[in-house]
Amino acid sequence: MATTEVAAKAGAVSVQNVRKVYYRDSQQIPVLDGLNLEVPQGEFLALMGPSGSGKTTLLNLIAGIDSATSGRVVVAGTDLTPLSEGELAKWRSRNVGFIFQFYNLIPVLNAVENVELPLLLSHLSKKERRERALTALRIVGLADRSKHYPRQLSGGQEQRVAIARAIVTDPSVLVADEPTGDLDSRSAEEILDLMQTFNKEFGKTIVMVTHDPRAAARAHVQRHLEKGVLTT
Amino acid sequence: MKFAPLVLKHLRKNWIRTLSTVLAMSVCIFLICVLQTVIAAVNFGLNAGSTRRLVVRDYVSLANNLPITYKQKIAAVPGVTDTCIVSWFGGVYRDPKNFFANLAVEPEAFLRIYPEVMLRPDQKAAWLSDVRGAIIGRKLAQRFGWKLGDHVQLESFIPPYRVGKPFDFVVDGIYDTDEAKYPGTDLNSMYFNFKYLYEATGQRVGIGTLTAQIDNPSQAGAVSKAIDETFDNSDNPTKTETEQAFRAGFVALAGNLALLLNVIGMAVAFTILLVTANTMSIAVRERQQEIAVLKTLGFSSMLVMTLILSEALLLGLMGGLLGILFARGIIAVLVNVPFLGDILRGFPGLGLSPQIASLGIGMALLLGLLAGFIPSILAYRARITEALRQV
Repeated sequence: MATTEVAAKAGAVSVQNVRKVYYRDSQQIPVLDGLNLEVPQGEFLALMGPSGSGKTTLLNLIAGIDSATSGRVVVAGTDLTPLSEGELAKWRSRNVGFIFQFYNLIPVLNAVENVELPLLLSHLSKKERRERALTALRIVGLADRSKHYPRQLSGGQEQRVAIARAIVTDPSVLVADEPTGDLDSRSAEEILDLMQTFNKEFGKTIVMVTHDPRAAARAHVQRHLEKGVLTT
Repeated sequence: MKFAPLVLKHLRKNWIRTLSTVLAMSVCIFLICVLQTVIAAVNFGLNAGSTRRLVVRDYVSLANNLPITYKQKIAAVPGVTDTCIVSWFGGVYRDPKNFFANLAVEPEAFLRIYPEVMLRPDQKAAWLSDVRGAIIGRKLAQRFGWKLGDHVQLESFIPPYRVGKPFDFVVDGIYDTDEAKYPGTDLNSMYFNFKYLYEATGQRVGIGTLTAQIDNPSQAGAVSKAIDETFDNSDNPTKTETEQAFRAGFVALAGNLALLLNVIGMAVAFTILLVTANTMSIAVRERQQEIAVLKTLGFSSMLVMTLILSEALLLGLMGGLLGILFARGIIAVLVNVPFLGDILRGFPGLGLSPQIASLGIGMALLLGLLAGFIPSILAYRARITEALRQV
């Protein structure tokens, strides 16, 4: 991975002339078309746009869970383009935290076990893992719910657990795919408050896809995507 | 090990499905273990037969006796080095359910030809000098609590041996064997002096079977043929075969039995494989999203595949252990079932051996592995973006 590390002078995220084409049978479906995006370290960016504009695809490329057809994606100082699937998995476990719209907690694990999940891939001892997971839960205000299972939590609480899981490995970049899309307005505000806190106080770079103008208003920068091209 | 709680919690989540799969697997392993044990017991008994011993009997039926005079004629056949009368007495001890083999033999010849029957010298001397004396196997002595000097009364159900009152025997010896040298030796039988039977029946009975010892096992076929040819034109033609063939005939088509039991075992195993594979497929299909989340968090495809396989292997292991437990219990119970237990006790090797238990566990793990293989491959190949889109 050392050979793919590049100077982070361009910022936390650098998307350079990226094309992404999906193939359905013999049909080509272009999603992103020569897209360029720079996100400086510590920025909170909101990506907006209509459905099918390529927002989630771009987010997936930044999170290293999908690869570009052409172009270059550099995140947290690492060029993701040449990495194999295994190398990407390892990179994700250390550098990026993912917040989903539907929380995606593991139903058979309680809150603290869910938060601890990414730490299973580290060399930390069981005790250290548990301490870190509890600290993350404390930060999101759910220390008293550590033994609760997802089904015993409200949507807002589940999303806070998911955020704790995203930050527990202390990644430099957080990517969020419509994190308030499944929440009532009050819970949504709480989640956005938390994300702002991580951005301001812990210096996390956040890239958030949203349809919600109120959520987007919390970001430093809003970019609009239409038909695979950034318009603003 | 740090991933073990994740695997265990998934199994616990849908415990009814897990339990039913484990039970199905355990039934399969139980059947395989019991069937293999029966096959092993049958083979064990067959292997105990000596290659140097031929058994001569009436050509038509075991129920017909051979004339006493045959003994000397058979002893004179080239290749035969020793002979001994061995007649099934069919004696019943108090109740038919107390079944055990009891045979009338010629003590001196018997101890020469059957070296696996081991007696202490003083007991041997006592038996040889006592016409009403009998020797019993160690296990038979334990079963009925018989000791040296005890009187045992048996009444035969075979008409020529019924003399209006039970035969009274004195336990002169309790024989044992060298299990390493003579595996499969029956320690559940009783042997007594043929002379006692012959005299008590007014010298009217013949020979049930006659054991002929030969000097060269490779000549067994030729010697058997020579014996039978000697009596070809008599009123009582004979059928001579090796001791192993004689025993095989006794356990009724033993070869086909083994094949049949193995086919049944394999059919059950294949059915359970399909059931378990289906269960695992459903479990993995239900968790597509979760698999995608694990991969997003940084779990490699190989690790996710290993977790799914571990789950399947754990199902197999639990089913295997439970199946072995069932098998042990059932075998222990079967031995005590009237009549059926008597038949089973006839096979000295009956019992769940470590080899068969290992085979059971191995089969269970293999079934688990096979059942989990395709689901784990699907989990390995699952693409994060596609799986997340299914939400």
